[in-house]
Amino acid sequence: MQRHLQKIVVILMLMGLMGGILFPVLPALAATAGVQLFTEYSGIAVTPGQSINYSINIINNSNSIQHASLEITEQPEGWETSLTAGGWNISRLSVRPQSEESFTLQTEVPLQVEKGSYRFTIRATDTAGRVSTLPIAIEVTEQGTFRTELETDQPNMQGNADSSFNYRLTLRNRTADEQLYALSTDAPRGWNVDFEVSSQKVTSVKVEANTAQEINVTIAPPAEIEAGTYTIPVQAQAGSSSAEAELEVNITGTYRMELSTPTGRLSTDITAGKEKMVELQLNNTGSSELEDIKLSQSAPVDWEVKFEPQIIESLLPGESATVNARIKSSGKAISGDYLVNIQAQTPEVSDSADFRITVKTSALWGWIGVFIIAMVGAGIYYLFHKFGRQ
Amino acid sequence: MTAVLQKLSAFFRRVPFNREKAHQAQHPFWVIVRKETMDQINSRRFIILLGLMLLTAIASLYTAMSSLQSAISEDTSTSFVFLKLFTATDGTLPPFITFISLLGPIIGIALGFDAVNSERSRGTLSRLLAQPISRDYIINAKFVASLSIISMMVITLGLLMFGMGILLTGIPPTPEEFWRIFFFLLVSIVYIGVWLNLAIMFSVKFKQSATSALSGLAVWLFFSLFFTMLVNIIVQSTMPTQVTDVNQLISYQSFVQNLLRISPSQLFSEATTTLLVPTIRTLGPVTVEQASYALAGPLPLGQSLLLVWPQLTCLVAEACLIFGLSYVLFMKQEVRSRL
Repeated sequence: MQRHLQKIVVILMLMGLMGGILFPVLPALAATAGVQLFTEYSGIAVTPGQSINYSINIINNSNSIQHASLEITEQPEGWETSLTAGGWNISRLSVRPQSEESFTLQTEVPLQVEKGSYRFTIRATDTAGRVSTLPIAIEVTEQGTFRTELETDQPNMQGNADSSFNYRLTLRNRTADEQLYALSTDAPRGWNVDFEVSSQKVTSVKVEANTAQEINVTIAPPAEIEAGTYTIPVQAQAGSSSAEAELEVNITGTYRMELSTPTGRLSTDITAGKEKMVELQLNNTGSSELEDIKLSQSAPVDWEVKFEPQIIESLLPGESATVNARIKSSGKAISGDYLVNIQAQTPEVSDSADFRITVKTSALWGWIGVFIIAMVGAGIYYLFHKFGRQ
Repeated sequence: MTAVLQKLSAFFRRVPFNREKAHQAQHPFWVIVRKETMDQINSRRFIILLGLMLLTAIASLYTAMSSLQSAISEDTSTSFVFLKLFTATDGTLPPFITFISLLGPIIGIALGFDAVNSERSRGTLSRLLAQPISRDYIINAKFVASLSIISMMVITLGLLMFGMGILLTGIPPTPEEFWRIFFFLLVSIVYIGVWLNLAIMFSVKFKQSATSALSGLAVWLFFSLFFTMLVNIIVQSTMPTQVTDVNQLISYQSFVQNLLRISPSQLFSEATTTLLVPTIRTLGPVTVEQASYALAGPLPLGQSLLLVWPQLTCLVAEACLIFGLSYVLFMKQEVRSRL
């Protein structure tokens, strides 16, 4: 009984051993049937216009060299495909025994393509006529286009009339051909719009199929423009396709002011201790109304400068106002030139004018000197008169 | 050579004589003036003085030329290059204005110290007074003759500086510079005139011409050497020990300045410096208030003149006063003929 049991155990163990050895061999024997196609990425997602280099391995499991002929049996319509390896277009590939080779499926996603999933099937037929197929799914994630795009990240800019506005546009040629685009604008009169490509001013730009070109647009508004929002349309036009972008310019009003005199003369003379009236002129050279213009001064010590009026309530663009400044010099001022600085200020803008004021001393002492000499002369005349005729 | 000299001197003697003849109807006053002028010009004294002034002009031009370059580059704000000829110095020799203020008194004293007392000692004064002329003609004519010689000298000197300046620098003076130099020469004449009058006064006062010459020189030495020392002593003794106020300091400063201005040479140097350096804006102390916002720049000629008008007035008045004094002294003097 015991011997019988032992026999069973031995047989089982043998069978186990046999199984351990035989079972790995069985699939290998099945694979020796021929070549197999393999890729890691059997399903990918792409966008229209993208080119795909799809690496595929062909595995030879047999013990003999396999000559596999390759072909694409299924592909979406309008997609151009080719199989390449080692820089060649290939249709047949030989693989050493127990080895593998790789080749590439090259294709380009057409620009005009519907969103969705597209299937490819590659078939390898070995020497013995056995077939291995590899299905590939390509997911197109976007609706494909066949057009030109003119885009910018920042279509709106703000600044005053003095500043210039720089927009960065991207011109995308999503057509199948190279295009020469003429760049133009419908800006109102007085606006200056420049197109620049690689720091060169241009009027047209050549863009290859399915590439993009950066275009810098510089917009300079007219000097005397009123505050507001302006839309500047820019176009890129090629024969078959065109694109337009709208650039928005938000002009804030400019605050500019000029302080001068009606004659433009910024010098005057004054007698020490006396008062002199200087007429000042304030010009609003900006594009916004100026309000509450205050006049102030920095003058030498003991000098007085008074303005009439002291505050100008409002000054419209292009208008000018007259202010009288009464400058009173110090009685102790020495003769010669002094500087009086007059400023006009609003919260937005200020301007100042330097006056060179020549102080003249009073001629009174001069006359007193003349008088003294005349007295002395009279004294001598008296002496002549008294003693002379003896 | 001596023959030529003799001929020349004969010629010079003849010319005035002929002229005197030609103007027989001339006023006796001008006859005396002419005679006095001729006497002065023909004297050795005049030649010495002229040589002295020539040397002065050449020396001061030399110093000015050697320092003109640096003086111009230092002061780029003004373009009064020509005036620099009169004021610039390189430190080895004083500039022209200092020469004039130093030598001017000597010229004045030299021309006037024996005006009256030499006539008196020679006995010609009484003879002159015997003529049918007013007595004051003599002193007036002596003054006018000497002053005209001084004017001639100063103007010659000024023109010499002008000419040599243009020759050496190649820069012609601007009208403004011309007028400044003109006024400077005028002030110089008045300044020398003050000393001339002083010398004439001494010559009236003292019988000996040596005494009058010495007293004139003594006054000159006093003002040019000892006066500033004296003022320094006064300053040291009267200086306020505690300065509490800026105004106090300023008034003290002007007191010291007025003390210094008793000296005619101080008045002269203030007047001429202001005339020849247009950037001088004031002669007194400048307060911070006055200096604030002041722009550096030259004064116009009128303002410069106005600034030194008191000095000019003082100089003219001094000259007139001293002349008046000597006039009175002369008129009241007893003149006896020497037997």
